[in-house]
Amino acid sequence: MQWSPLARRECRTILTSKGAWILTALIVLWGFRPTYTGWNAIGQNITIGYIQTGVNVLLPIGVLLLTYQSLIGERTTGSIKFLIALPLKRTHILLGKSVGRFAGLGATVGVAVLLLTGIGVFEHGAFAIRPFVGVVLATVLLLAALVSLGVLLSTAVKSTVSAAGIVVGYILVTLFWNTVVSKVYTVVTGVPVNPYDAPASGPLFFVLRLTPDGAYNVLTNWLLGVGNSADQFRAVYTKLKPGHGINAFVVEAAFESGTAPWYLHPVLSIGILAGWIAVPLVLSRRIFNTGDVL
Amino acid sequence: MSDDVPVIETDGLTKQYGDVRAVDSLDLAIEAGDVYGFLGPNGAGKSTTIGLVLDYLRPTAGTVRVFGADPQRDPIGIHERTGVLPDRFGLYEGRSARQHVSFVAETKRADDDPEALLDRVGLADAIDDDAGEFSKGMEQRLALAMALVGDPDLLVLDEPFTGLDPHGVRRVREIVHEENDKGATVFFSSHVLGQVELVCDRVGVLHQGRLVADGTVDELRDAAGIDDDAVMEDVFVELTDVRIDAGGESQ
Repeated sequence: MQWSPLARRECRTILTSKGAWILTALIVLWGFRPTYTGWNAIGQNITIGYIQTGVNVLLPIGVLLLTYQSLIGERTTGSIKFLIALPLKRTHILLGKSVGRFAGLGATVGVAVLLLTGIGVFEHGAFAIRPFVGVVLATVLLLAALVSLGVLLSTAVKSTVSAAGIVVGYILVTLFWNTVVSKVYTVVTGVPVNPYDAPASGPLFFVLRLTPDGAYNVLTNWLLGVGNSADQFRAVYTKLKPGHGINAFVVEAAFESGTAPWYLHPVLSIGILAGWIAVPLVLSRRIFNTGDVL
Repeated sequence: MSDDVPVIETDGLTKQYGDVRAVDSLDLAIEAGDVYGFLGPNGAGKSTTIGLVLDYLRPTAGTVRVFGADPQRDPIGIHERTGVLPDRFGLYEGRSARQHVSFVAETKRADDDPEALLDRVGLADAIDDDAGEFSKGMEQRLALAMALVGDPDLLVLDEPFTGLDPHGVRRVREIVHEENDKGATVFFSSHVLGQVELVCDRVGVLHQGRLVADGTVDELRDAAGIDDDAVMEDVFVELTDVRIDAGGESQ
């Protein structure tokens, strides 16, 4: 693989950047939340829940900020002229960039996961291995999807300022995704959406889990055994607890038992995450292979 | 590559940006072993042409062949044999000169010694210094060392004398001759006319995206209709002025 030196260099770029290690620290600080709700929801597996909590919000912000400049930066400085002059196809350059950044971020996020796990074991004792492995693999999928998105952004947008603006826009849209989808659903169908008592609508619940972090939550909630929802595990647990009202969209709360459509099965979130990996990569390749790179 | 195939060949090569035609129907053939100087005022289309040859840019019309191959379809085959010193490039901050050269060597799978190459371009004292702190002249030397990795059959040097002191300029000239003596073809653009005269076997003059003259320095003097003692600058001014007077038409 002639692009492996490029991938190694990209990996080193991440490993030597302060941003990546700040992300590691923030994931640990944000993720470690020893709450009674969390303990009541999943017991000693709360250690695994820390991973979901830390990764869910911070990984999208961190990864996009650490990848959106991967190609734009080289265009802006002119160093891309050396890169294109190397014996690499443009597709190889994209591969080297994506794989290298993925590996570097994988290592730093891996450190965060290890730290959270260590703290969790120290505080709460042993946890179940199978959901832990599942959540780690889901985190790897989410990371790959976000790197793929960041590289697409870097390929498609010509200026650093525009790309940074899109990153902020993406973060805001996904942060308020439930509200955005609810409003659009109401406009399209005329049915008001009360998040405390959501309508049993398959399309509504499906769209709610279409973001990378939404799909990640659905998958990890399933692995943790708390319920079928794109919200975080503590919210899902609270929503399903008798006598509690909370603005979370949980399939089991909206649909009668056994009436939820097949496409809301949590395992399909793997497909959604795979789509977030594949589609941006294909688009990046198409854009980067067509036209000028300067 | 057979000997009769030009190292670089363009046929009707055109690059259009909106209403501006940066390169206009360029027909160029650079033969193996040539040291070919590409001359032209700023904005003449020299770097655009080099961008098209190296696949930084894609043609609006016409074709480019390098070693007989299409740069879009066979970048690996072409770039394995090509060393490039681009114009207006940036280096990687936080990385040493050694790391820059090593990266190119690893990608090209060449076994060059980075220290030897950096010594050759006069950067022996700065091998492990951060390239982000380099002066323009040092950047230029480092880029030349990167271009020399893998003993390329073709050296493409875009404004190689930019930012160099007289020692650096002389060193570049010596390296061009050394590489050419080893069999490399050298294609370089410059507006430093005196250097072109000292280095090149053949010269092409580009003006407003069109090749207005092509030949040896003596042939260009004849084409310009000026005496044998005229320096390259006189030849260049005469050729480009004539073309401006003629409304950009090649004569």
